[in-house]
Amino acid sequence: MLKILLPTLMLFPTIWLTPKKWLWTTTTAQSLMIAFSSLFWLKWASETGWSTSNTYMATDPLSTPLLVLTCWLLPLMILASQNHTMPEPTNRQRTYLTLLASLQALLIMAFSATEIIMFYVMFEATLIPTLIIITRWGNQTERLNAGTYFLFYTLAGSLPLLIALLILQKDTGTLSMLLTQYTNTTMPNSWGSKMWWAGCLMAFLVKMPLYGVHLWLPKAHVEAPIAGSMVLAAVLLKLGGYGMMRMTAMLTPMTKELAYPFIALATWGIIMTGSICLRQTDLKSLIAYSSVSHMGLVAGGILIQTPWGFTGAIILMIAHGLVSSALFCLANTNYERIHSRTLLLARGLQMILPLMAAWWFIMNLANLALPPLPNLMGELMIITSLMNWSLWTILLTGLGTLITASYSLYMFLMTQRGPTPNHIMALEPSHTREHLLMTLHLIPVLLLMLKPELMWGWCF
Amino acid sequence: MAARLMRTWPFLSHFRLGCGGTARFVSQTPSSGAAGSAAVSDLQRAHTKDSDGHVEVSAFKKNPDYHGFSQDPYVDQWNMRMAFFFGISVAIVIGGTFIHYLPDHGMRQWARREAERLIKQREEEGLPLMDENYYDPSKIILPSTGGEE
Repeated sequence: MLKILLPTLMLFPTIWLTPKKWLWTTTTAQSLMIAFSSLFWLKWASETGWSTSNTYMATDPLSTPLLVLTCWLLPLMILASQNHTMPEPTNRQRTYLTLLASLQALLIMAFSATEIIMFYVMFEATLIPTLIIITRWGNQTERLNAGTYFLFYTLAGSLPLLIALLILQKDTGTLSMLLTQYTNTTMPNSWGSKMWWAGCLMAFLVKMPLYGVHLWLPKAHVEAPIAGSMVLAAVLLKLGGYGMMRMTAMLTPMTKELAYPFIALATWGIIMTGSICLRQTDLKSLIAYSSVSHMGLVAGGILIQTPWGFTGAIILMIAHGLVSSALFCLANTNYERIHSRTLLLARGLQMILPLMAAWWFIMNLANLALPPLPNLMGELMIITSLMNWSLWTILLTGLGTLITASYSLYMFLMTQRGPTPNHIMALEPSHTREHLLMTLHLIPVLLLMLKPELMWGWCF
Repeated sequence: MAARLMRTWPFLSHFRLGCGGTARFVSQTPSSGAAGSAAVSDLQRAHTKDSDGHVEVSAFKKNPDYHGFSQDPYVDQWNMRMAFFFGISVAIVIGGTFIHYLPDHGMRQWARREAERLIKQREEEGLPLMDENYYDPSKIILPSTGGEE
């Protein structure tokens, strides 16, 4: 654990003490080395589950894939931000990198926390760098509104969580995740315990986001700069899923009945947000709503609490993290050239930038869960386990899959095919950096196809 | 407008510029809302001057081998090399090899072998393959049915 945390914390001296010329080179190299060393977590020592280095931080088959995803994403964020921060003064670039590195350190501590209060503190702490990134480096005036929505939606969900955790601490005497999976919290069948159940899960449902409380997500994703969008889509949403998986271990047997409305909202949200995608004019907003749709499927998979549901949820979280982040990077390559996110304004790009069109194509195929990519694996497992829970969900999830395919195709056709725009005079060719960014997104997805048991969690 | 561009960048004659001479009108009114704010605000960005008085010029003009990392060609090349080396050669290739050779991730192959061994053993001894009860019921001590308060 320390061999990941210490280099991440040492990113701060690297960022502030490196001469301006080599700032981005050194931070990219260091963050890639951290990503490489994070792969050692995948060595699963034994069947007992948790592999601990100290009593406060431990990794288990649920948190390890998410930790590796987090560590892998920091260099990708740095690569993606390099171009749009170039005109800024050096100290501002250093501040930006500091925010990304601090987000990384907090996320590592959040995913590896064994004590739930520590997880909660880190969960809240990640809000601050993200808020600063969105409101300071966003490009439109709506970023202030977006930051407010983001902050207050998440806080409103998570303050009840704090109360719920304190109640739990008083009752069981411990909040260590190593123990809570074994303690049977038999709560009396009263309204109070139902409130407690809701308090435990609402924070994560808002973060995921669940369909009814998802309004912060399109705003935050659209207004954030590329690194903000990437980290939001790839990792911060998964904090919600991870938290839900940890908490549901303690919340039985209430979840069997109380989860009903939330599963219904989640599956309905797949269709609704998918349909909204088909009506979007803003490219990033389309990708943001697609994230809500996929996370609805994940939320459904987690709430039914079956082994296949959990496994499918983890797989879809990892696969969606990489693919969604890649789509935001592609949208950013568009934005850096034409300074607009409107879909209609940059069409026919396949003729102008054909190699980028290849990336667009592959990423859209991954988004619509093309076999044999892990996106499909996760979706199928969740859909199957939802069907086992109730046969009617197949109507919603099947229709959702169809709508996902149609908006992914829509996104590809709108940006790549069609007539080239008359008003755009010159588009810069694609940079090596952009192609490298897409490669580094795609290759883990393909490699995970070959060894998916890394992601299957401890339920399979 | 098209003629001015042709003078600045002669290679643009390869692209179809304009639409046969008719003027194009694009709304320049600022609009609110997320979709509106994403509207194109700078159509003539290519030949407006920024605060330094320079025309925005593509980095490829000065450095045809621009990789997208930095304006300084030396730093650009080294940044590209570092990113590719650490990203692909170290993280993906060496990391991937490490993961590929991880022994029996999660003891799943062991579990399969153990199950097959136990089945073979129980079939030889004539025992049922698996007990209905996970725990031995005679060993479970239940509280008395008197009902303790």
